[in-house]
Amino acid sequence: MLEEALEHLVKGIVEHPGDVRVHARRIRSGRVLEVRVHPDDLGKVIGRGGRTAKALRTVVGALAGGRYVRVDLLDLTEAR
Amino acid sequence: MTEAQASMATPEVAERVVPDVAALEQEGEIAADYLEGLLDIADLDGDIDMDVEGDRAMVSVVGIEGGDLVGPHGEVLEALQELTRLAVHRQTGERSRLMLDVAGYRERRRAELTKLGTEVAEEVRRSGEPKPLQPMTPFERKVVHDAVAAAGLQSESEGEEPERYVVVLPV
Repeated sequence: MLEEALEHLVKGIVEHPGDVRVHARRIRSGRVLEVRVHPDDLGKVIGRGGRTAKALRTVVGALAGGRYVRVDLLDLTEAR
Repeated sequence: MTEAQASMATPEVAERVVPDVAALEQEGEIAADYLEGLLDIADLDGDIDMDVEGDRAMVSVVGIEGGDLVGPHGEVLEALQELTRLAVHRQTGERSRLMLDVAGYRERRRAELTKLGTEVAEEVRRSGEPKPLQPMTPFERKVVHDAVAAAGLQSESEGEEPERYVVVLPV
């Protein structure tokens, strides 16, 4: 559910919603949601001073009910 | 009000355009779609009310059970409002000043802070000393400023976000 919710939140605010990919990974301390967006949209999902990234993390954290979830924002062309 | 304030206030009033209600209603529609999609995915019940208040679209998520979309000090609500404004901006190309409420949180805060602003204004009037308040969000500070002004005193904001706070000033 979290991946889908995050994907919905991001798709609604970018210029290239078709290029949004969310991938979930497990790490020892919890979960990581990796969001990939079109390179032109990376600035948009981070926002001025990281404001939009923070808002995304806050809402995802609330939906996760307090469990630790890390949200990483990447551009589609970045390798991991 | 002094003459200086009166003359400064005039151009602002003259420049204020009549709110474009149709555009604000469209903002509400876009916001409602965005939020409804989120509620569906998160499997949260809740309806969305839309309204236009003055020159802002007002969107409220009501009847919501479970899932804390308000958060401590309303921080989840503020985050969701920020994202919703961006979603509106993406579709209209215009910066949105839309106000989001969840489960009546803002209404309750507005009532509490109006009471606080009125009481502190009285206290400052008696003591003659400026009084700083706790850090608040922009919405909360605006409510306090309005209450202080209604009580006939002035106030200003100091400090940097997110620690910005209201100081109520003596006459």
